[in-house]
Amino acid sequence: MYRFLVVFIGFAFMSIANAYENPLTGNSEAAKSSKQYHENVSVIRKMHPEFLNHKRDKTLRQGVRTEENSLKGCVNCHANKDETTNEYHSVNDKDQFCSDCHQQVSVSVDCFSCHRTTPGASYKGVR
Amino acid sequence: MSKTLNRRDFIKTTTATTASVATIASGITLTTFAANANENPVTNEKRWGMLIDTNRLTEANIDGMVTACKKEHGWGSEAHSTGDQKSNWIRKLKVKDKATGKVTSLPLMCQHCEEPPCVDVCPTNASMKREDGIVLVDRHLCIGCRYCMMACPYDARSFVHEDLTDQKEDMPRGKGTVESCTLCVHKVDKGEAPACVASVNSDAVIFGDLYDANSKINQTLKKVQSAQIRADLNLNTGVRYSGI
Amino acid sequence: MNIRYEQIQGRSLGFYALVAGLGVLILAALGAVWHMEHNGHWVTGMSNRIVWGMPHVFALFLIVAASGALNVASISSVFNKKLYKPMSRLSGLVSLALLAGGLMILVLDLGRPDRLIVAMTEYNFKSIFAWNIILYNGFFVIVAIYLWMMFERRMNKFSSKAGLSAFTWRLILTTGTGSIFGFLVARQAYDAVIMAPMFIIMSFAFGLAFFILILMASYKWTDRPLGDVVVNRLGNLLGVFVAAVMYFVAVKHLGNLYLAENAGVENFILFGEYVYSDLFWYGQIILGGLIPMALIYHPALRSNRSTLGLASVLVLIGGVIQLYIIIVGGQAYPMEMFPGKEILEGYGGIAAYTPSLAEIMLGVGGIAVALIAVTFLVKFLPFLPESLADEVSDPHHKS
Repeated sequence: MYRFLVVFIGFAFMSIANAYENPLTGNSEAAKSSKQYHENVSVIRKMHPEFLNHKRDKTLRQGVRTEENSLKGCVNCHANKDETTNEYHSVNDKDQFCSDCHQQVSVSVDCFSCHRTTPGASYKGVR
Repeated sequence: MSKTLNRRDFIKTTTATTASVATIASGITLTTFAANANENPVTNEKRWGMLIDTNRLTEANIDGMVTACKKEHGWGSEAHSTGDQKSNWIRKLKVKDKATGKVTSLPLMCQHCEEPPCVDVCPTNASMKREDGIVLVDRHLCIGCRYCMMACPYDARSFVHEDLTDQKEDMPRGKGTVESCTLCVHKVDKGEAPACVASVNSDAVIFGDLYDANSKINQTLKKVQSAQIRADLNLNTGVRYSGI
Repeated sequence: MNIRYEQIQGRSLGFYALVAGLGVLILAALGAVWHMEHNGHWVTGMSNRIVWGMPHVFALFLIVAASGALNVASISSVFNKKLYKPMSRLSGLVSLALLAGGLMILVLDLGRPDRLIVAMTEYNFKSIFAWNIILYNGFFVIVAIYLWMMFERRMNKFSSKAGLSAFTWRLILTTGTGSIFGFLVARQAYDAVIMAPMFIIMSFAFGLAFFILILMASYKWTDRPLGDVVVNRLGNLLGVFVAAVMYFVAVKHLGNLYLAENAGVENFILFGEYVYSDLFWYGQIILGGLIPMALIYHPALRSNRSTLGLASVLVLIGGVIQLYIIIVGGQAYPMEMFPGKEILEGYGGIAAYTPSLAEIMLGVGGIAVALIAVTFLVKFLPFLPESLADEVSDPHHKS
């Protein structure tokens, strides 16, 4: 049952992702950087909830703190900086990185009732 | 250095050396194993603990520990919550012996029990103990039933009573879930000491691996008399006190 | 003699007024929930010291009463008392409805009620709370099956077996509910094995009081005959249960007074200067215990429906007060963290709690949910016997 849900949501996401030529517009590290971080963007689009859930358990329960699939990493790289004020937009603000797709598919994001929505003070840019 | 040290000099030099040795030593011991620690799951070969010497810890030290914790995790500045509704991960307690009248100040936080009552009662496994003895709340699973707060003998847990924004990047916190001292697990995993321990510039608070026979905490615990709060409950706490 | 069951008509002005009134209470409760969940619990009287407030008082009250309301059915199917048989269906219904109301409150008072699915999929089997979730869900299933066997003529022959399993299940369920408190070793007010049996006796009294009120109201409002034999029997039973509750309360408190380590909390509850002592003596003991017993057993008031109704209402009010003292009073008293020492600063003192209107509205809404469920279901399914006149319920009755 759960798998069907994953596949279904996956399709839902694919259709949206396909609608975009380059979703990474805006003023974020990810849009500006030439470095390719994800091996396969369509896999990330489809599977990022599973990756994040898997990683969160490993980090919280087992203390595995690698950069791979860390939510902090997503936020750091994908948060847009406002051109005028030079402040970060929250990734879950309207039309920002996370909510852009999630709005369209009406899937609520529960991450940010607890997690920080902008890069933290210690973030010094991509390494 | 003259052969006969006077008392003041002795204290000065030893504090300076112990402090620096402690910082370096803890750095070394912690980083040597920490080379790959972040990639591998933690194991039960370690048990993190803390020894608090209330005779040497001043009230200012304790206030400093509380401030350091607030700064590290961002609790205590909730806008709407009042009084007991505000989060409180570590607090300063003053206790008076009823017979002798001796007053002791001590910091009280999650005691990181080996047999944590909060973990036993949690219906969803959100309250959990890591293999290395650190007791945490998995806020992904917490439904906010607050049974763990009923069960905790140390009143160590707080319920977030309002919406929060601008959390610290290493410490997600949110409305409707329960939280408590994490022993600065994000720092420990990087080989650093918890913020409160680092804020005290003496050996009044020692942090380390209780199982490691070479660790300072293990060796000190072998020498000095120490106590657990509510030892009668047999919870085998990770936080120990000497001087109470 | 065959008993004929029939739906109520449910077309009168009174019926719609009742439904509308309950509906308003439910809407108010939902509004209160929105208010509390939108803002967070800071708008309630709860805090980190009093983590379970008014909603838990009502929720546990209803859950305890729910298992007790099944007693009437159990007496007929397990102990084979013919007099109670016609009322078995209603007994099962009231029991399910009360449980639904109680669970609704419990869920809506969670910090994250949106994560109910987590509570249903992640189980920690060491947690008595998780066991309770299973027990509550199981109770719904078992009582539903029991009801079906009573309704379906072909299944009637199994109904006493189903009744026995429902009876067993409900004893375990109330034991579990009582153990939620009994297992809290850190708190002086709770850590007592007697909590579990005391909760069972409490459930007998509260559940029966609810049942008597619903039975008398539905027969009066539908003009169906309800004889004195049934009413007096239920009234006597209620008196016995109320006396049993008072016995357990006395044993619990006397036992605690005897233990030096619990003397502090006992003095706080029984003889302190806080609201809990007044609530205990005037509310729980006099209003919820002695007066109802007097109303039930006084010879001049025999067969008096009004005084029995009043006694039932008082038992319920006393029950809410009793749970308030157990739940809120038990948390208000500080934990003994340093035996032999006095805490000067940082922790201790009696925690303050003033219930907010929203918390009370949520609690009352739970009762309304239970009552509206009964109201609708007796309209759509034949739960109520056409007549409970003396010659129907007791074939040997001579008038």
